[in-house]
Amino acid sequence: MMDARASTAPVEVERPDIDESVRLEHPWLVIVWNDPINLMNYVTYVFQKLFGYSREKAHRLMMDVHTKGRAVVSSGPQERAELDVARLHQHGLWATMEQSG
Amino acid sequence: MFRRRIRPARNRQGCELHLPPEERQLLASLPSQLQGVLDATESSRDVPDSLKRLFPPAYVRDDKSQASFREATRSELTASHRAALAVLAGTADSGRLDEEQMAAWMTALNDLRLVLGTVLQVTDEAVAADQGPQSSELVIYHYLTMLQSELIDVMERWLPEPVPGADDLVPDDPWGEPLGGLRWDGTPLPSWPPRPDL
Repeated sequence: MMDARASTAPVEVERPDIDESVRLEHPWLVIVWNDPINLMNYVTYVFQKLFGYSREKAHRLMMDVHTKGRAVVSSGPQERAELDVARLHQHGLWATMEQSG
Repeated sequence: MFRRRIRPARNRQGCELHLPPEERQLLASLPSQLQGVLDATESSRDVPDSLKRLFPPAYVRDDKSQASFREATRSELTASHRAALAVLAGTADSGRLDEEQMAAWMTALNDLRLVLGTVLQVTDEAVAADQGPQSSELVIYHYLTMLQSELIDVMERWLPEPVPGADDLVPDDPWGEPLGGLRWDGTPLPSWPPRPDL
């Protein structure tokens, strides 16, 4: 919960000196590929369970996997993407990762 | 009338199993067959073709990163497959399952289907034509599919509430549609990564 005083007292913030190469670094995308074995309702279930997506969002992503052959299901720094891929592999889904850009 | 084999328990704690004895025998015996293959291949560097679906690659364009990912995750991944199979074998004769055991059944049933489906060369929800209707693997594959579907029907009711804001973390199709279009930030798409070869 945000501290009430912090939200009512805007402070001039010095822009942190972020290294351009870090700021511009493209996130990693976690991709799930279509496969003929995993059940459609199982894939939807796993997306909801692992990423906290609504049923509708998880269903849309599953349909992307099913009809377009793949969907990006999460993104973030490399370590985060590796963790997500490992969790998807534990659930038997065909996941890979790719750096965007 | 069609009677479900897996029904939510009345107190909503886990589920009841209504399985005939021959199905329980099958479910008790299948895990050890897969565990045998896992045992035989655990120390080898390469994953046999039949198990490739259990150990897919994370990096398809970077062999070095893939090697270290495999190194870092393989033993834990093997252990999780093993643990789930052990629960299935150990509870195949139970009258009920708690939620943890149900999760293990879900993983174990899916693992068995992935391996059987690979051996049967299942493609796009059709099975290779040269598998005769007498193939016992095919019958088992369809049986496991049915059982897993029933399990999903029960377990999806118990999913926690969606995480607020989670839906907005990833655009619906950040790679653009059709392929070759622009990304959501307006920059051109990089070449689409090759579909991993399994």
